[in-house]
Amino acid sequence: MATPAMDIAVSRNGKRVLNVWFGILLVFLYTPLGLLLLFSFNDNNLPVFPLRGFTTQAYQDFAANPELRASVVTSAKIAAVASLVAVVLGVLASIVLVRRRVVGKGAASALLLSPLVVPYIALAIGLLVFFNEVSLPLGFPTLVMGHVVLAIPYTILILVPRLERLDVRLEEAARDLGAGALQTFRLITFPLLLPALVSAYIVAFVLSFDEIVVASFVNGDTTTFPLYLFSQLRFPTLLPQVIAVACVVMALSVLLLIGAEIGRRVVERRLGADLAAPPAGGEA
Amino acid sequence: MAVEARKIETPTPVPVVPGRPRSGLVTTALLAPPLLWLGVFFLVPVVLIFLYSVNVFSFFPGEQAFTLDAWKNFLDGSPFLDLFWKSIRMSLIVSVVAVVAAYPIAYYIALVASKRKYVLLLLILAPFLVSYFLRILAWKVILGDQGVINSFLFWTGLRDEGDPVSWLLYSQFAVILTLIYVYVPFVALPIFASLESLDRRLLEAASDLGASRWQAFRKVTLPLSMPGVIAGFIFVFIPTIGEYFTPLLVGGVDGTMFGIAIADQFGQSLNWLNGSVLSFFLLVVVAVLMSIFARFLTVRRVATD
Repeated sequence: MATPAMDIAVSRNGKRVLNVWFGILLVFLYTPLGLLLLFSFNDNNLPVFPLRGFTTQAYQDFAANPELRASVVTSAKIAAVASLVAVVLGVLASIVLVRRRVVGKGAASALLLSPLVVPYIALAIGLLVFFNEVSLPLGFPTLVMGHVVLAIPYTILILVPRLERLDVRLEEAARDLGAGALQTFRLITFPLLLPALVSAYIVAFVLSFDEIVVASFVNGDTTTFPLYLFSQLRFPTLLPQVIAVACVVMALSVLLLIGAEIGRRVVERRLGADLAAPPAGGEA
Repeated sequence: MAVEARKIETPTPVPVVPGRPRSGLVTTALLAPPLLWLGVFFLVPVVLIFLYSVNVFSFFPGEQAFTLDAWKNFLDGSPFLDLFWKSIRMSLIVSVVAVVAAYPIAYYIALVASKRKYVLLLLILAPFLVSYFLRILAWKVILGDQGVINSFLFWTGLRDEGDPVSWLLYSQFAVILTLIYVYVPFVALPIFASLESLDRRLLEAASDLGASRWQAFRKVTLPLSMPGVIAGFIFVFIPTIGEYFTPLLVGGVDGTMFGIAIADQFGQSLNWLNGSVLSFFLLVVVAVLMSIFARFLTVRRVATD
């Protein structure tokens, strides 16, 4: 009879069952990653039991591997350019989708978001055929072009909710006080949108850095980081190195995203709740 | 990677600011670059794939001539069509299991766990931050004949050294397990969002009117969370039909899928005509499925940010 809402959602036993299921799923999700981490420190060229001893050999090996380092740099460059382009295009699209009246908005947003559901293999083949038809040599530029397509919907999904929460009256006030459209964007919209822009950039960056399906079709001679890792799988003795690199990248991307999320919240709090319109949805 | 991503957007009204005069030109200027990008690098390629599939374009010069032969061959009981149905079957298993596994989790986080809600959600979503390639690799390492499970069985003497459990890797089982692993967090997110926005007073009302917990769940909670369930389902089902890297790494012969066949036609087999038929067929299937499911997605956006 206490806390009635709780009681309706779940019984005491039901809660126990859910607790157990939640635990099982966490084990399922984290065991494989934990095992990878464990074997990256194991003193054996193969990831097998029994464990032999602790070593950081795999980590030292990859740090000394020039091809691998080059592939990381290549991927970082591609991701840096692709996510910049994707964010710029995403902002333009989001502003129209949120702020403007336009014929065929539904069709436009369907097209812009479609790369979310279309299997990457179909996108990859399409790009391959297209680049072949226009005789564009495969390499860095074609990788960027492909990754921008994949990243645009993600930037829109991040930017649209933020734009919706920005109080449109601020922009109107700026316009009424004589600011031009560009000036309004530069002085009002852009600073308020900045945290979301950073989020969108990072998500697009990680997406591109990690992408392997489209990359494996339009890379030409360029070896991106995931493609390098994939090519090394043919040599089983290199597996510990691959795992070690993967663990480092995993740790870095977790830190990057957590850092970005914290940064975003700090900035948003500083910008002040009074500036933003009441939240449209639940606050994460 | 995709913590904030894969929310559903359907073309329903967004609050619109009354247009200013002369804004039509500006709107066009704003919308043109992103639409052009997707037009050139997505729509044009799709059209090209179609033209290749009917041999109006051809990889080898001089062979261009309109023909539907490749389509006829494909649709007339070719092994590729069988492979397509096999992929559909595997994707269905993956998406159904993922939804069933994720629903209680989403329910738990949204309606039972009150204070630690977002910590728990983050725990479920965090594996997303781990590279896709790495998550597949982990299962390859675990399931192999010399892998973690088998070497553990040898070590503990549960299994003889020369007799590994070999159906674990390079099998449909491996592909399905790995895909479920990759997609479970993905499914949990939209279901969580739909349960989170559920008005708890509806449950109280149901209870006041004499409904049991089970009745309240079946008549109120479940129907109201269906948009999330359907969103989660399609965001697994549709992309996995064309899954490429997972079957490539852990599928072997038994676990091969349609996406691999497509890649083969453009790679080793160098049969762009046939490959284009398979690709365009996949695109048509995706478009049809999306148009079927789109009408169920009545929520404007299943978002949690």
